[in-house]
Amino acid sequence: MTMMKLERHCLVALMALAALLPLVVRDQYVLHIGIMVLFYAVLASSLNLVVGYVGEFSLGHTAFLGTGAYAAAILSTQYGWPMWATVPVAGLLAALVGVVIGAITLRLQGPFFVIVTLSFAEVLRLVADNWIALTNGPMGIAGVPQPALLSEAGNLGAKQFYYGVAWVLLAVTLYLSFRFVHSNAGRAAVAVRENRYVAQSIGIRPLSYSMLALVLGALLSGMAGGFYAHYISFVGPEMFRFAFMVSMIIMVLIGGKGTLVGPLIGALLVTFLEEYLREAKELRLSIFGLAVIAIVLFLPRGLMGFVVQWRAARAAPAPQAAAPKAQGSAA
Amino acid sequence: MELLPQYLANGLVTGSFYALSALGLTLILGLMRVVNFAHGELYMLGGVMGWWATTRLGLDFFSGLVLVAVAMGAFGWLIDRFLIERIRHQGEEPGILLTIGLSIFLANTALLAVGTAPLKVEAPISAGPLFLGTVVLTKLRVFAVGVCALLIAAAWLVIHKTRLGRAMRATFQDPMAAQLVGVRTANVYAATFAMGTVIASMAGMLLGSIYSAQVAVGGLVSMKAFVVVILGGMGSFAGAIAGGLLLGVVEALWGGYVATGWVDIIGFALVIVTLVFRPYGLFSKRAERA
Repeated sequence: MTMMKLERHCLVALMALAALLPLVVRDQYVLHIGIMVLFYAVLASSLNLVVGYVGEFSLGHTAFLGTGAYAAAILSTQYGWPMWATVPVAGLLAALVGVVIGAITLRLQGPFFVIVTLSFAEVLRLVADNWIALTNGPMGIAGVPQPALLSEAGNLGAKQFYYGVAWVLLAVTLYLSFRFVHSNAGRAAVAVRENRYVAQSIGIRPLSYSMLALVLGALLSGMAGGFYAHYISFVGPEMFRFAFMVSMIIMVLIGGKGTLVGPLIGALLVTFLEEYLREAKELRLSIFGLAVIAIVLFLPRGLMGFVVQWRAARAAPAPQAAAPKAQGSAA
Repeated sequence: MELLPQYLANGLVTGSFYALSALGLTLILGLMRVVNFAHGELYMLGGVMGWWATTRLGLDFFSGLVLVAVAMGAFGWLIDRFLIERIRHQGEEPGILLTIGLSIFLANTALLAVGTAPLKVEAPISAGPLFLGTVVLTKLRVFAVGVCALLIAAAWLVIHKTRLGRAMRATFQDPMAAQLVGVRTANVYAATFAMGTVIASMAGMLLGSIYSAQVAVGGLVSMKAFVVVILGGMGSFAGAIAGGLLLGVVEALWGGYVATGWVDIIGFALVIVTLVFRPYGLFSKRAERA
């Protein structure tokens, strides 16, 4: 239970800090970075529901992100829907895609699940590339409209508005994830992750709980996609590209999968790292690749996994208490 | 309908290229349980090195192929000993991430080294046409299909008829038992990964002489290879060949009769259909292990 409390306190503190940023900073570039951090935090948290709590490695999460982005772009450019309607509908459509993909893929495990989820994202990318009547093909959909109330606000006002929307989106994401993870359904999903057969033997049906986690993840990343479409005001088939997926995975893993705080820290670190490495231009992706390899080898459970391990060592029974303490002071 | 034999021939040619491209992946996946996302980049490196060997070093095609095989074999061995060894027996996930990191690194570093332009590997024979009844193929493609068949047969012989192949099969059935009877399993893992790398890079160079070697091709090659491997069943030799030929023929027919724009989608559609009706591939005998 203390872990649950700690997690809740951390989340509330981080969100409170995030809410303070636009009050203190009026620099547009910093706000843009802030918006991207919040956006990626939503994505990483939603991916974490599948990777961390179902325990299956999805490489198809961009399918939901892209579906949401295209849904919002098409609904607002062709049908004139306002942003407050397109973003939730984008989420619902992505959730629907999640139901279809989940029904097929969740029966598979291991490498099969990985490759088939990836295939679904590729199929959607090819559809976006080729169904020109709907998606405008490789050209993408430009000029996704901004909300009407931004017509009078300046650039700074627009940034502040989007920062607020992204913050709310992340708050909703964390609330839903928290409720899911600490509900019976979430505990059942963890039981399936830890040992599918034991879970089945006590009456947990693996498919229904992993489906719930997947659809929730799809809903959240679909809304993030809808938000992104309005904020960047352009949507193209690159939304389905593997590059987005790579960023999301790295965030979840660097922070620590299976924890709610981990993906937030991952989103923060990776977004800053990407911005910082912009200086290194061409070398950027090479360094990124090496960073991924280093994380896998040296930080296999992520930063949060490190913290959890450290707390567990400190909370260890008395006879062993002396040793971790000595280690702690040495570090 | 009179074009049908031509489409079938084209499909079989492309299909045998697919089979060879996927063979290294299915070996590593089926035997080592490592989902190698850097497969396409290893293929790409083979093509780029082949270009370098034939145009810059002035070697002929076959000496170049030997050079590529030796260099990439050593590279694959090192990847296994220094990277994959450290995450062995930890499930699929670290392997996936590690190879994704490796593929990003290799693709971008190769981009920095040689740029985005297509690189032509010097072909060993002329590109003139060859008439077989109503079917027209280039000599070069027929030759490449022959080389594909040779390489596939050679890989099969290594696994089924040599001491190393026996050690491989023993290790992947039961590493502990293999170790107990004196198999150096660390070397066997490294040799398997090296063999997969060699096949991938030779495929890259061979096909680089027909199309061209390109740095950005890795992702597409990996995807097609995954499709072939899923269709055929993981780790199955016959499956890789059948899956490759099937994909090639279906794509050629679809491109010929329906629409060229959607050709790439066929593979993924086939994968999804296969998984609904025959989840472990057309040729895999055993179900997924727990």
